[in-house]
Amino acid sequence: METQHRKWHPIAASSDLPLRHTFHGQLLGREFAVWRADDGYVNVWENRCLHRGVRLSIGINDGAELKCQYHGWRYANRTAGCTYIPAHPADAPARTICNRTYPAVERYGLVWSGETPDGELPEISELEAGSPCALRAIPVNAPADLVTKRLAEYRFQPNAKIDGQGAEITVETAQDGHLSLSSVDGEVSTKLLLFVQPVDSNRTVVRGVLSDRPKQEDELRVFLHHSRRLSSLRDLIEAEAAGLPVPEPMQPVIHRVSEELASMPEQTLSGRTAPLRVEVSRKWETAAGIAGLKLVPVGEQLPTFQPGAHIDVHMPNGLVRQYSLTNGPGETRHYTIGVKLEPDSRGGSQCMHREVREGDVLAISEPRNNFPLRRDAVKTLFVAGGIGITPLLSMARALHHSDLPHELHYFSQSEKHMAFPEVLERLGSGVVPHLGLDPAETGKQLKAILSRYQPAMHLYVCGPGPMLEATRKIAADHGWPDNSIHFEYFKNTNEVDDSSSFEIDLARSVMTLQVPAGKTILAVLRENGVDVPSSCEQGACGTCLTTLLEGEPDHQDVYLNESEKSSGNCIMTCVSRAKSGRLVLDI
Amino acid sequence: MITLYDYELSGNCYKLRLFMSMLDIEYEVIAVDFYPGKEHKSEWFLEINPLGQLPVLEDNGFVLRDAQAILIYLASKYDAGGKWYPTDQPQTLGDISQWLAFADSITSTSSAARLHDGLFYDFDIEACRAGAHRLFRIFDEHLWFAEKQNRNWICPGDHPTIADIACFPYVILSEEGGISRQDYPAIRRWTDRVKRIPGFVVMSGVFPAGPAFKAAG
Repeated sequence: METQHRKWHPIAASSDLPLRHTFHGQLLGREFAVWRADDGYVNVWENRCLHRGVRLSIGINDGAELKCQYHGWRYANRTAGCTYIPAHPADAPARTICNRTYPAVERYGLVWSGETPDGELPEISELEAGSPCALRAIPVNAPADLVTKRLAEYRFQPNAKIDGQGAEITVETAQDGHLSLSSVDGEVSTKLLLFVQPVDSNRTVVRGVLSDRPKQEDELRVFLHHSRRLSSLRDLIEAEAAGLPVPEPMQPVIHRVSEELASMPEQTLSGRTAPLRVEVSRKWETAAGIAGLKLVPVGEQLPTFQPGAHIDVHMPNGLVRQYSLTNGPGETRHYTIGVKLEPDSRGGSQCMHREVREGDVLAISEPRNNFPLRRDAVKTLFVAGGIGITPLLSMARALHHSDLPHELHYFSQSEKHMAFPEVLERLGSGVVPHLGLDPAETGKQLKAILSRYQPAMHLYVCGPGPMLEATRKIAADHGWPDNSIHFEYFKNTNEVDDSSSFEIDLARSVMTLQVPAGKTILAVLRENGVDVPSSCEQGACGTCLTTLLEGEPDHQDVYLNESEKSSGNCIMTCVSRAKSGRLVLDI
Repeated sequence: MITLYDYELSGNCYKLRLFMSMLDIEYEVIAVDFYPGKEHKSEWFLEINPLGQLPVLEDNGFVLRDAQAILIYLASKYDAGGKWYPTDQPQTLGDISQWLAFADSITSTSSAARLHDGLFYDFDIEACRAGAHRLFRIFDEHLWFAEKQNRNWICPGDHPTIADIACFPYVILSEEGGISRQDYPAIRRWTDRVKRIPGFVVMSGVFPAGPAFKAAG
């Protein structure tokens, strides 16, 4: 039986996966949710939601993600990573919430999969030459070995003489769970492959594939011929199986979470890591002064991202910069970022623009999401300034795909400065450009946009510092509560005052450390062997957010909003410090 | 005004709520306490329907029992386009009637299994389930061949008929009687299509489908 788990088996027909459907499959006792995304990719997943174990085969295939019917958890095409949990609309789901996937190959009109199949799906020589045509599958309530044995008695007419009788049948091969039969009637002959799919110990599906497609006018009669004859044979097999003891159902092992995800990331003291390698498959000028870069994985599948997520790009010149992903939902074959050439570049954007070329391999971090998108707003407003469009583009695409109400206000110098115009065009009337406005005119527009706040509306802002400040202020003036305004700065332009010195207690690590003037909390932690995640290291991205248990923080970041800052229970360790002599951190 | 004598968990009542929603017909509901009150066997209800069965529909004094009969009546009277029950097409009418009878067979097997499992009816559960599977095999083959002829619905034509409405509820609720639809992929696809008919509504145990079109973006 073990060898069965290492083999490829047919689990569905291609025609079982029409647009936006989820097929309920099973192999060797293990159930699958099988669905085709709008980009054609076939997903074969463990048939249970990681939340409450409800079958995903009753879930909603929205073309990019599969949504569980029970509590609406969403899982992305290809990666099966969770992208959204409605009960926690403000949080980004953890990377460990990733469903188990199985390989899928579509060939000969069938979908093939297996638990841990060895190597590539073998070629079936009889089907390589002709024009394979899958018949209607016949489920049989009997064990696979009995079905295989009895299928050798299958009698059928060749395609070209479907109404005749008395064809000679030869069993040419019977191995590896399939039979190759040949039917000869006078001059004409047809070859039929019968694949036996072991569904469970006492359940089997017979999937027939003709090596040659019948003539169009005969097709229905050929299909009916086989459907009826296989059904009759099924009745005999089931009658025989009914006299045998019923075997115990198979018990597949349901893995909780993949080992790779469950294990702790390797401890490093080097700070920011870049475990992924991507190739720049395309680099183009998407707008004046803005380069678009399409990054494809070298080897493995890229990890799941959520709208609003960013990656660290480790550049050839040693610098590390953060870029937001612009991808739409389910677009999991590449990451696409936009990089603006900054006139006062300290080397980051210059390197990306001038040195990085198509074909180059870059090291990047896994995507992190410190700018998560809620999907429970009655209406969502996006305000983008310049290159601030990038995270908001990904967000707007997600809402657009799910038909959720939103507006994307894009402030830009001119039309030719608008990045990713081909994507904007697909978003249609949801995009409102505001072109060539000076700060005063921008303020006036923002007032008009933000004047109609209603409860459960949400605002997402990304753009240059001054515009962001203005937007936040205008929104607050028009009654938008703090927790409805979400923002992301490109960088922290505040002068960081690192003159204080203080003590930090690490509550979980049971350590007391001194932070001297001129050194950050983050640096002191790392020097002492305590690694914490970080990304921008200038108080803008939110990656190093740490829970503060005691002490008075001296916030110097631009990530936290006013209420978060005044709550006194969190701190960004890369720039912020202490007003009190001692801070107790939940590390 | 139309009045429906209704029980929330009844698939046969759901047929009519579903169809009236699709036809955008307004109606009132009189709730009959089928379980545990057995109100459908009460004196007052037996006067309305001596068979003691739900649903019953009253339309301005005209009283009609039997879900399939009511579907015919509603389609004939309220579907201006004549698509759901095309009275000018004898073959289609015959075909529809054949499948309305099939829907009754689904009720006596799949619905019976559900009554056994959910409401403690004393039925031969194995016989109910075996009967439902026998019907579903026939139904799945029928729908598979319909798809091969580019047809979405039970009866020929590019519009659903009341046959689809009549068969839908106790197919989609079959799992509540322990009858899996895993072996019937063509039936599963057809239920997705029914769920996408404009005006579709759910009942307890029936989940909606998502839209089936490719959005830009």
